[in-house]
Amino acid sequence: MYTDYRLNDENLIDYQKYEQIILTISKRFMTYGYTRIQTPMFEQYDLYTKVTSSIHQNEMMKVIDGTGQVLVLRPDVTIPITRQLAAGISELRNEYRYFYVQDVFRQTFDGQGNSQRTQAGVEYFGVSSPEADAEVIALSCQTVTDLGLQDCKIEIGHAGFFNELISEMNLTATQVKMLTKMIQAKNVTEIESFILDLPIGEKVKKAIMMIPFLYGKPEEVQYRAAEIAFTPNLKNKLEHLAKVVELLKLYGLEDYLVLDLGLINHMGYYSGIIFQGFVEHIGKPVLMGGRYDQLGNEFEAEIPAIGFACEIDSLIEASANRLVESPIQLDAKIIYDSACISQSIQLANELRDQNYRVLSLPSQKKVFNHQQSTCTIYLEEASHSLLYQEKKTPFVNSSEVVRLLEEERGTYNCVL
Amino acid sequence: MCAVTLALAKGRTADRMMELLAKAGIQFPDFHATCRKLVLNSEDGTIKLLFVKAVDVPTYVEKGAADIGIVGKDTIMEEQPNVYELLDFKVAKCQIVVAGFEGKQPEKDKVITVATKYPSIAERFFVEKGIRTELIKLNGSIELAPLIGMSDVIVDIVETGSTLKENGLVILETIADVSARLIVNKASFATKTIQIQQSIKSLKGVLE
Repeated sequence: MYTDYRLNDENLIDYQKYEQIILTISKRFMTYGYTRIQTPMFEQYDLYTKVTSSIHQNEMMKVIDGTGQVLVLRPDVTIPITRQLAAGISELRNEYRYFYVQDVFRQTFDGQGNSQRTQAGVEYFGVSSPEADAEVIALSCQTVTDLGLQDCKIEIGHAGFFNELISEMNLTATQVKMLTKMIQAKNVTEIESFILDLPIGEKVKKAIMMIPFLYGKPEEVQYRAAEIAFTPNLKNKLEHLAKVVELLKLYGLEDYLVLDLGLINHMGYYSGIIFQGFVEHIGKPVLMGGRYDQLGNEFEAEIPAIGFACEIDSLIEASANRLVESPIQLDAKIIYDSACISQSIQLANELRDQNYRVLSLPSQKKVFNHQQSTCTIYLEEASHSLLYQEKKTPFVNSSEVVRLLEEERGTYNCVL
Repeated sequence: MCAVTLALAKGRTADRMMELLAKAGIQFPDFHATCRKLVLNSEDGTIKLLFVKAVDVPTYVEKGAADIGIVGKDTIMEEQPNVYELLDFKVAKCQIVVAGFEGKQPEKDKVITVATKYPSIAERFFVEKGIRTELIKLNGSIELAPLIGMSDVIVDIVETGSTLKENGLVILETIADVSARLIVNKASFATKTIQIQQSIKSLKGVLE
């Protein structure tokens, strides 16, 4: 929440960081050809209950409208975008790259009552291929490093790998749930005692036991995983991961990658590659994403897609000390004697047209303004002058000021 | 190389773990029996130790305030943190049980009253069995509750069973085996992989 705008307030500084981060992220998304979109704040409750195993109904913030219909405050962005796209087309004939910066709402039960979070994410609807996967993962990694977070790690896994093993095991829904939890916790001891008594083949047992250890540098993990890929499907999935990793090396991102075949996302719609990003000192993922080729099927359309979302609040926390804050919010302050008011307004307008940030103040009221500015312009009855870095330069007309400022622009910190 | 932060549950687990750590060659020069310090640094600077209350260990680790933590399985089951559980130390062993008066097994057709320090474990256990319960959360001397008629049974940890015996209670059912476990923050595991795996390896070496 950034609603308190008192001078020098922490909230104000936080909000500037928030804006700066969103600006940096949006710019990066645009360099990959993504277009910004927005989705409605209110969504149909039914939309989210229809898509199985996505967001738990207890997590959603519900609202009842005038006609008695149940709506929810947008708990996620991927599902409505996919639904919208599926409504127009049943089959993908063109690629679409969208990004968004929006708040999502989820009820949390950690007692902190923080149910509103800003997410910045992309959705890439296009033919499923290792190239597409690598491009999106590269973008996610670059987005984080753009913020100065060089120690970021992207963990990559495959939703299909574990599902394939599960399908070989013939378990009840409860058993699958228990095993999923153990795999997510890499709880080797309990996995061992859990599968000991199950009527399953030795190959599957060995594979399940191995999963928690399939974590680390891509080559090592690929090498060890090859041993347990005993069905063609499992082999395919590993080969796909290997291709994506090779491509990511071409992007120069090798050092940021970790393979984790025990990675299971709680969003059930992921079907292919999945990934999440971590940075130091933040205890939870700062971004999460994956391929969700089957989500379109829920809306009677065939739309392969991959996407991810960054948690803005976590990124602000992580980059707290690394962003170079510019405390100077103004380029020029014009201090004028009352006789020079018309010149002052004219000059201020001219400078604003050139995108300078300008304040114009009557000289007797200048004590009320403590904002710092890069330079100060004095319009006195006797003479006009520009003060920049303790150097006072006199000038006669406004075009001279524009020229003077122009000269300084190289070292200038202005919004352009 | 930056240090790995380890959150350790004060009390029973801590004493045994300090021995294990010493065996693994991780020395804390400032540590002694009556030590009241809450933060200790290991001699070689690789581990920063935090002493916290047992129930808070999962919170410290889940939030990333500590990279790794050592805590009993009972606390993990109760708090259900989103962390990795990588190692079973097989020390500080005990059991979580349902205890009560001999021959008074909880039955499906009536509501039973359960006194416990572990409301979430107790609830899950009885819901799974289809037994309706009324839970009373207590923080100590759980055995007292059935004696004075406040509850029908208790859910608690039992090490030797002598407290139960002295109070005329018996174990009716075992819920789970408990021992000290190593939990790891998922983000730390990604960003400090080498350091953390090194610590786990040296601890594992001592256990075998």
